[in-house]
Amino acid sequence: MDTQVEISAPTMGGGLDPSISRDVADAVRDTIYRATILLDSQEWNNWLELCDESFSYDIKSWSPEINYDMTYLHASRKDMEALIRLLPKHNTDHSPLTRHTSVYTVDVGDNGETASAVSGFIVFQHLLDGTNSHIDSGESRLFLVGKYLDTFKIVDGRAMFTSRIARLENRRLDKGSHWPI
Amino acid sequence: MPARNHKQWMAAPNLKDGEWIDSRVYTDQAIFDEELEKIFKNAWIPVCHESELPKAYDFRTTSIANEPVIVCRGPDNEVRAFLNVCPHRGMLIERRPSGSFYEGQPSGNPKRMTCMFHAWQFDMKGNCVYISREKEGYQDRLPKESVGLRRLRCEVKFGGFVWVNLNDNPVDLEEWAGKPFECLRKTLDAEPMEVFHYHKAIVNTNYKLWHDTNCEFYHDFMHYHNRVTGFNDAYFARKNEAFEHGHIVVGTFEVNYDQYEGFESRAGLSFPHLPPNQWYMIDLFPGMNFNLRGSALRCDVVTPLGPDKVMIEFRGLGLKRDTPEERQTRINHHNSIWGPFGRNLHEDLIGVQGQGTTMRPGSESRRVLHGRQENQTIHDENGMRHYYAEWGKWMNRLPSNPEAPFTQVAVAAE
Repeated sequence: MDTQVEISAPTMGGGLDPSISRDVADAVRDTIYRATILLDSQEWNNWLELCDESFSYDIKSWSPEINYDMTYLHASRKDMEALIRLLPKHNTDHSPLTRHTSVYTVDVGDNGETASAVSGFIVFQHLLDGTNSHIDSGESRLFLVGKYLDTFKIVDGRAMFTSRIARLENRRLDKGSHWPI
Repeated sequence: MPARNHKQWMAAPNLKDGEWIDSRVYTDQAIFDEELEKIFKNAWIPVCHESELPKAYDFRTTSIANEPVIVCRGPDNEVRAFLNVCPHRGMLIERRPSGSFYEGQPSGNPKRMTCMFHAWQFDMKGNCVYISREKEGYQDRLPKESVGLRRLRCEVKFGGFVWVNLNDNPVDLEEWAGKPFECLRKTLDAEPMEVFHYHKAIVNTNYKLWHDTNCEFYHDFMHYHNRVTGFNDAYFARKNEAFEHGHIVVGTFEVNYDQYEGFESRAGLSFPHLPPNQWYMIDLFPGMNFNLRGSALRCDVVTPLGPDKVMIEFRGLGLKRDTPEERQTRINHHNSIWGPFGRNLHEDLIGVQGQGTTMRPGSESRRVLHGRQENQTIHDENGMRHYYAEWGKWMNRLPSNPEAPFTQVAVAAE
């Protein structure tokens, strides 16, 4: 096991009408980019609205130090709802995060009702707290690098997340974060 | 009392000796350099877990007090440690964090540690077994038998952790940490464990401030999770017990995990010989922590990088025999609190980094209070007092005035 993400040969819906496949792929990209904007603006519940009831969320990383595929966070949709509800109860770093996402591949299922996508992402942390806000606030630092491995259910032409794995490349995570990535 | 002027602010607090310290112990470069020499080069450090090098010829690299260290498992299954330094010209022998010497390297043969620079080769016992063009260059003046690696004291103990000491004649490891581990010895040695989590944090704070946070539970007020799952009579009765060599153990109680929305009881996956949902904490001088929350064991190891900079390595462990489902549950239990995206660790790291901001090289010295007295229960600060009494002995410095020599009376043990 390593950090490589397996990319299958392109599948655009097999025997589906190509225009339907294209519409599904467009819907998938739209959902991924909307998710990026909603996460950046910390509209957590609006982000969850893009997720199906069956949604599962994982943050994972391969560790060459211990030769183990690690799961830093695993949650169902219900778990994420609780996590989000309790955020105000927790102390946290207030520095906003922004995600730069590029959708690399979209594969549409044969029936046009499912899809999967691989995207690259970079998360920057825009320091508000930092170590000393007098000095650090306003600086942007690279926080995370990785890939989103997403799966979708297509409902009324709209792509709903059924799973997201945020697979991280960096394992020096310093203070970490309470927020979905 | 109203806010204080500078003179009042700098005055010694109205507490007994030993109940406060001077922040220069966290900020002074000379003290930091001295700590590496006097403490870290003489203390037992759990550098990794045996499950990180499960097969013969597996290795892990690490460092202690600026010295690179390699740990490898020999064909005899023994785990040994060496300085990761070639005796020829000081090259780092192995550069990867982990791997295997079973296969050959570009510069060397299978089953050898090979320095890529000039192809000197060493076996798993640290013997030099090959010098390229040995006779041509050294004739009989420097036989390979005289240029073995620097071996280090190394033992696998207390649940399979690999302990290394740079001192050739340290205090015996059992004598060093046996008593604090007694509360969990049966549990940790019942069956093999396996590491399932690793990450590291480099934060701008002194390593002792991290260890202080692991030694005091008064900061549970910072953690919503701990307040709702723990604040009850049994919690406040937990004992903070001091042991020789500066170690402490925080006794257990039953945690009500299901009081935190979305969390579940951990009773089904308790470690061997433990009642359900227990929470033990062992803090070892000078900066190691073993934290068992029922179903998952966490281990922190500090690597001090400067007076205001520390790397902390976090490991999570379960039982080697776990089914995939059990393992995933343990991982969830561990990381929902202690992972980099968990509820508590982020808060802890913000806390110590905030201290690091107010106490950095060049900051005015401050009085840091360790004076809570609660019959050595959970919010008593006796753990930190005990630690700094030990620190004073090792450093021959008085924690409340680090320019003065240590005196036992001044920071008398509880």
